[in-house]
Amino acid sequence: MKYHITHITDYVYQSPSSLCHNTMVQTPCDLPFQQVESFEQTIEPSPQYIQSTKDFFDNEKVYFSIEKTHSKLTVTSKSVVTLSKPNWMDVVPSETQPWEKVQQWLQTTEAMNDIRQFYLPSKHVEFPTGIQEYARQSFSEGRPIMEAMLDLNHRIHSDFTFTPGFTDISTPVSKVFETKKGVCQDYAHFTIACLRSIGLAAKYVSGYLETLPPPGKPKMVGADASHAWVALYIPGLDWVEFDATNDLLVSDMHVRVAFGRDFADVTPLKGIIYSAGNQMMKVSVDVRRPEELDQLKQSV
Amino acid sequence: MINSYLQEIQSSDGKFLDELSTRDGQITPKWVKLANYYETVGSEKVAEGLEQVSRQLRENGVTYNLYGDRDGLNRPWNLDPIPMVFDAKEWEFIERGLKQRAHLLNLILKDIYGSRQLIRDGLIPFELIYHHQGFLREADKIMLDSELQLIQYSADLARGSNGQMWVLDDRTDAPSGAGYTLENRAAMTRVFPELIRENEVQKISSYYQTLKDTLSQLSSTNIENPRIVMLTPGPANETYFEHAYLSSFMGYTLVVGEDLTVSDGHVWLKTIKGLEKVDVIIRRVDDVFCDPLEFKGDSQLGVVGLMEAVRQKNVLVINPLGVRVLENPGLMAFLPKLCQHILGEDLILNSVATWWCGHTNEKNYVIENIDQLVIRSINAFGETVFGGNLSSSEKTDLINRINTDPYLFVGQEVVDFSTTPSWINNKLVARNAVFRGFMVADVLEKDYHVMPGGLSRSAPEQGVFLVSNQSGSISKDTWITGKRTDIVADNPVISPSRKLMRQLHVMPSRTGERLFWLGRYMERSAYTIRLMRMALLAYNEADEDIHVHEDVVLSALLVSLTNLTGTGPGFTEKRTLKNPEKELLSLNTDIYRIGSLAHSIQSFLSNGYATRDRLSLDTWRILESVSNELNKVRKNNASLMEVYDALDNMVIRMMAFYGLNIDNMTRTSTWHLLNMGRFLESSGNFCVLLRSLLSKKYDMETDKELWENTLRSNESLVTYRYQYRSNLELRSVLELLLITESNPRSLVYQVLKIDNHYQEMVSKEFGHSTELSNIRKKLLEAVTKIRLVNIDQLCTLNEKKNNYPYLIDFLNDIERLVREASMLISEEFFNHTSSRFMRIQTAQLPEI
Repeated sequence: MKYHITHITDYVYQSPSSLCHNTMVQTPCDLPFQQVESFEQTIEPSPQYIQSTKDFFDNEKVYFSIEKTHSKLTVTSKSVVTLSKPNWMDVVPSETQPWEKVQQWLQTTEAMNDIRQFYLPSKHVEFPTGIQEYARQSFSEGRPIMEAMLDLNHRIHSDFTFTPGFTDISTPVSKVFETKKGVCQDYAHFTIACLRSIGLAAKYVSGYLETLPPPGKPKMVGADASHAWVALYIPGLDWVEFDATNDLLVSDMHVRVAFGRDFADVTPLKGIIYSAGNQMMKVSVDVRRPEELDQLKQSV
Repeated sequence: MINSYLQEIQSSDGKFLDELSTRDGQITPKWVKLANYYETVGSEKVAEGLEQVSRQLRENGVTYNLYGDRDGLNRPWNLDPIPMVFDAKEWEFIERGLKQRAHLLNLILKDIYGSRQLIRDGLIPFELIYHHQGFLREADKIMLDSELQLIQYSADLARGSNGQMWVLDDRTDAPSGAGYTLENRAAMTRVFPELIRENEVQKISSYYQTLKDTLSQLSSTNIENPRIVMLTPGPANETYFEHAYLSSFMGYTLVVGEDLTVSDGHVWLKTIKGLEKVDVIIRRVDDVFCDPLEFKGDSQLGVVGLMEAVRQKNVLVINPLGVRVLENPGLMAFLPKLCQHILGEDLILNSVATWWCGHTNEKNYVIENIDQLVIRSINAFGETVFGGNLSSSEKTDLINRINTDPYLFVGQEVVDFSTTPSWINNKLVARNAVFRGFMVADVLEKDYHVMPGGLSRSAPEQGVFLVSNQSGSISKDTWITGKRTDIVADNPVISPSRKLMRQLHVMPSRTGERLFWLGRYMERSAYTIRLMRMALLAYNEADEDIHVHEDVVLSALLVSLTNLTGTGPGFTEKRTLKNPEKELLSLNTDIYRIGSLAHSIQSFLSNGYATRDRLSLDTWRILESVSNELNKVRKNNASLMEVYDALDNMVIRMMAFYGLNIDNMTRTSTWHLLNMGRFLESSGNFCVLLRSLLSKKYDMETDKELWENTLRSNESLVTYRYQYRSNLELRSVLELLLITESNPRSLVYQVLKIDNHYQEMVSKEFGHSTELSNIRKKLLEAVTKIRLVNIDQLCTLNEKKNNYPYLIDFLNDIERLVREASMLISEEFFNHTSSRFMRIQTAQLPEI
């Protein structure tokens, strides 16, 4: 499936700023089930200095600074990405290995550091009391890992209420667990906390979801903005992705941008602005299939 | 003295080894000479030595700050006159061990931020690194162009009861203490020169020379004349004294985060001349505080964008960011194996026995033996507790936490540190002691240099082990006695004065602003003191039953006090004037009241403290004594009479501060900024004071008294009498005070001085320019107005209002011009600092 993505971030400052430093993680990369056909990015006003590096998690991280007076900052990232069906779509969940075997394997030096690092707690992923018990309801003794994971995904989706504006960046997992409310970041952080609390390795995935549903299908939650979901490590399959917000096993509609321990590692845009007043942020994401774009052009 | 010490050791339970006494009551060979000396000279001489050493340190302003204690700021540094002693032979062993440990840690560090093969192979448990706060993923794969990545390293050691030296702690992030060590040695050398000679105490200067060489070496690959700065968290930091002292000793500019900015991927120092590129930063700011963009977003101590400059190798940060991962007690458990694996040899210096709870067997051992162990977090700022000291509920809680996150905890054996002779309460007694050694990379030789000496600390109480400066330990100089067998030539001491000169060429804007305000507050304090003394004198001399508000002179003095300090309404209100005592005390002692004398002096002191790397040693001593006088004024229930006496001392000290700077300070920007501040303040104060005291006309006698007081407060009474030899009259008073250019207390002289200093500094720093700057325009306008003034007109009385309107207007005019000049000066030189920007985190959770 091919998608055209336009991701626009606008910052408007109350009073002008003479200097800002920013880091940005919003460049999709080639992956086993994802090819990036094109990517272009514009920053307004144009930065005095810009530099891109691979971060610790192999994401493309851009640092830039604007060193002249400005009242508005706009970053536009446009990409064209083709997705294919992942190998895990053909797996029979009940035939995967018991989750405990994976957990034990992770404790050995057989497992690479790059995988093992994702079973440790991190800035936004701590283990509130009772979370292990919550996870173990799905991850019962000897249960095949993928089956257990799909069950957890489903339970979170039905136990939680999608509530925009209820949480913010500093809301801890414990609060999300207690209120069972939040947005996709909270769903993702909570799912990860469940998995890590029982010794499994889970990553945070940031990305996009198609804006308009295919004809006859309902519009999905998470469109029109950046989205987040989870990847669980299963030996033999590698990182398998799940979207608890939509109760889905991720297929070919999720465009991946970055992977990290949690949101803090892959914040799409953050910075420090030298300015006296407040600022407002507006993000818009548009994900469309090429044929939709053609239709749009014709109607205009 | 020595015999009673030996007896004390003999009668103790023998739990601890003693450095001076063997188990059977003999004096250890390394202590024989020293023991003889103390025995011969006796207690009095040692007590005298302590007195001298303490005075030396106090006068040099050596302090150690305590966090969270307002009055704890600038606590004097304690030094025991009795040193910690190692003989050359035992030292060679320690030195070899420390070198090996430094090399080992360096190789581990390179692996952690490189291939991480040691973790892959299971030689270092994965969680010990990946779960450690010091493992900075942002610093991964960033290396200095050197075999040695660990540049500065220090280790805390103690001798156990079996005679072995144990390593208790590794300090790698921003190790402190090398500056205090230097001060300790300087004080000891001054007080006990012959003792140091007789015992052939090894010199420590080579350490500082190696550090200097290494820094130039590291940066010389791309730059010929590197700009090196030392980044300090600022005057509130516990070891700020050391930062100021070391930076001026080494010849590096002392900066705080605000002094630096990142532009174009480079780091720049904001100076009064503009931005200057920085090549090397020696940091005393903890790792995650260094760049709020990439680490702790709320840090005010760092430099935004620093990590990017580091990544691009546009600046070197020493120690490199990420090195704290080695400050990890958990690592200690694995060092012997790692040493074998990496260096193929046995670890020379053992770490204190450590069990890492990340392994189940070890965790169980720790929990079973929790009463006998010290439990520590693997993180540097984590907790350290004696299991045995915990209540049962605290213990349960701790065990729960160990079970929840076992990777984060270690159990460590309690080491019975050896005792060493210490001078406590005028007696030689045995106290447990810890030694801190300092290592620095010699990148040219690809080896580590170990300082032949170090910082020892002993507990003030008997049988106490937790020794830290925060908990009130006493420091000791550390002597390595006797000739080395592998003697190397000692490098000459770096001459601090020569280096200091070079460093002064750069003036960070913030430092410039501090110096400017140092001058202003000095003058403001002195002016206030003079007026206050006159007011207090008049008040104390007044009759018991006098109504203050009816005494015109006293009232005028009090009202001018309110005006001068800007603390209105104050004495302009009748009820305060009627009972002035409370307000007078508040104006003297209330440190939190802006404008009060206590506040001005405190501001004078804090600006002095923040610029202490620019001020001479003697000047520090004066700051110290001013601080003591201030404490006397502030002490509870001080009467106005006591305050008066303290003010007397204070004004003398303020004048001494100024006099010393005239004598000692080189005529650089430091000097000019200090004086511009001083004369700006005095010109302004002058106008306020004259307006308060002279603008009204009273009866003849009152007028004369006010004129006399005005002259006195301007220290011009004697000059007046000498010059006019006549009765007081307003015309002559104004002539002398306003336009007599030969009178250094006259207004015209003060304003001319501002202009002179401004002009000199600008021509030195920026070269000449034809057009007059706006600052000079204001100043010259003021000077011309004063020179052209018609004194007779100023003395013209408005009969209706009974005041002198021309004089009032004139003073208002000059005050305004001076104030405008001051604002322009701030804008021109300190504009980087005046607008302290608000930092906004733009990280937000998107809606979805």
